[in-house]
Amino acid sequence: MSGYKKPLPEVTPWSQPFWSAAKEHRLVFQHCPSCELNILYPKLFCPNCYSSDLQWMDASGRGEVYTFSVIHLHPPSPFRDSLPYVVAIVQLDEGVQLMTNIVRCAPEDVKCGMSVVAEFDDVTDDFTLVNFRPAAM
Amino acid sequence: MDKSHRGEVAIVGIGEVPSGVYPDRPCLQSALESARDAIKDSGLPHDEIDVVIPAGTFYDPWYNTNMIFSQLVEELGLTGKAKMNLQVVAGGASSSAMMETAAGLVVTGKARAVLCVHAEKWGSMPNQEMYDKLATFGISPEWEAPYGLNMNAVAALITQRYAFETGTTTEQLASVCVALRKWAELNPNAMYQKPLTLEDVLRSKLVTSPLHAFECNRLADGGSAFVVTSAERAKSLDTVPVYLLGSGSVVTHYAISQETDMSRFGYTQAADEAFEAAGLGPEDIDIAEIYDSYPVFNLIALEQIGFCKRGEAGQFVMEGHTWPGGSLPMTTNGGMLSQGHTGTGGGIAVLVEAARQLMGKGGKRQVEGARFCVETATGGTYMDAHVSVFGREVP
Ligand SMILES: [Zn+2]
Repeated sequence: MSGYKKPLPEVTPWSQPFWSAAKEHRLVFQHCPSCELNILYPKLFCPNCYSSDLQWMDASGRGEVYTFSVIHLHPPSPFRDSLPYVVAIVQLDEGVQLMTNIVRCAPEDVKCGMSVVAEFDDVTDDFTLVNFRPAAM
Repeated sequence: MDKSHRGEVAIVGIGEVPSGVYPDRPCLQSALESARDAIKDSGLPHDEIDVVIPAGTFYDPWYNTNMIFSQLVEELGLTGKAKMNLQVVAGGASSSAMMETAAGLVVTGKARAVLCVHAEKWGSMPNQEMYDKLATFGISPEWEAPYGLNMNAVAALITQRYAFETGTTTEQLASVCVALRKWAELNPNAMYQKPLTLEDVLRSKLVTSPLHAFECNRLADGGSAFVVTSAERAKSLDTVPVYLLGSGSVVTHYAISQETDMSRFGYTQAADEAFEAAGLGPEDIDIAEIYDSYPVFNLIALEQIGFCKRGEAGQFVMEGHTWPGGSLPMTTNGGMLSQGHTGTGGGIAVLVEAARQLMGKGGKRQVEGARFCVETATGGTYMDAHVSVFGREVP
């Protein structure tokens, strides 16, 4: 898997638990017990109450497509062999959002509001990316 | 700028070089010619400029550090006179950020006259190099880059959601490009001056759904500049001062994946603040100089500032109301979709156009009798919304 040419996440000390969990095929987010905020992407401290006492929680992996686009032309260089591909923002049931790719689905079938579930792509020995596929398959 | 300072500062001079692909025109030349022309246009003796604000330039880090380290002060003969050279950069919103900074310096008496200037050379860069660069601007290297996001896709995500929520059609979105081109046909500094039809836009290649090639801005070399001073100083100049009547702004996100209201953003909050300060409303506005870069931003701004009802901006533009001769002339330089996208300068060109129109220097595209103008800006992945109200008089 060393032939992977696309950009890998530039990980911070406080986001490492997210990527470690992804490697175990778990999608996690942070929860702030003092103000009840759910947080993703991971933060060094709660942006609402500034508490540093954040807990990691397992997400259901379920959500819906907030919006998406099918990239046909002029992608970043490492993605030229992947055309067309679908980038999307997914809103998880837990109320947080993330950027992802929609996979295992014809690009023309992706719709705003579509129900999706997380799946995991072990792109290298060190990194697993979180993609989403249609919930109804 | 709030209402306690309404009309206290004015743009008194503007300069601009043509946008397009000019590989033999050094970026510094675009900056210097724009700056020189803006100073001359103001009628101020050049050595009265005491603060120089260059906006950020992205094509070359060395050029950009020269701008940070006072090269313009030296080239413009302002050494020993300028008190400060500072870079102000908020991506596409640098126009508003520079204007606000300049206005603040002037009203507090820290500056007598501020030169704001920008130049860029995006149009001469190799295409793939720019595609790669535009996959880094405002895009999270940890949470977004691994998924192949780029700037076209950011705009496409927004367009998709906006169309989903409002029912705006593909044709209505494409009509923004047509409307902007109508203005660019009258703009000798525009990169594209040939007529463009709805069919041309819709038949162009699908780049990043739902965006067609003509709905993606064209990268350009260019430069523009403006001079800001006090309304008091402007009185004795032989120029038409363009007064800053009010402004408002809000930052809504860094990463586009964190934005929760992509069909509105922060324009309503920004516009309410600007209109409150100006003592005016949308009904008083003669021209809407809206930051485009992609068609959807004109539609969102038209609706959220209050020129159109939610979901009706597409039809409004499609019917030609924003064309030359229409009831609400919009982005009258042709915007980044037709004048060309000079990076940080795309918005500065829109701001300079606002001043140009109110000064009555619009040439073939002059909007006759224009008194009040709204100008907008947004930067990065549309991270912020800025709305300013300018007038050739203080109401
Ligand atoms: Zn908290």
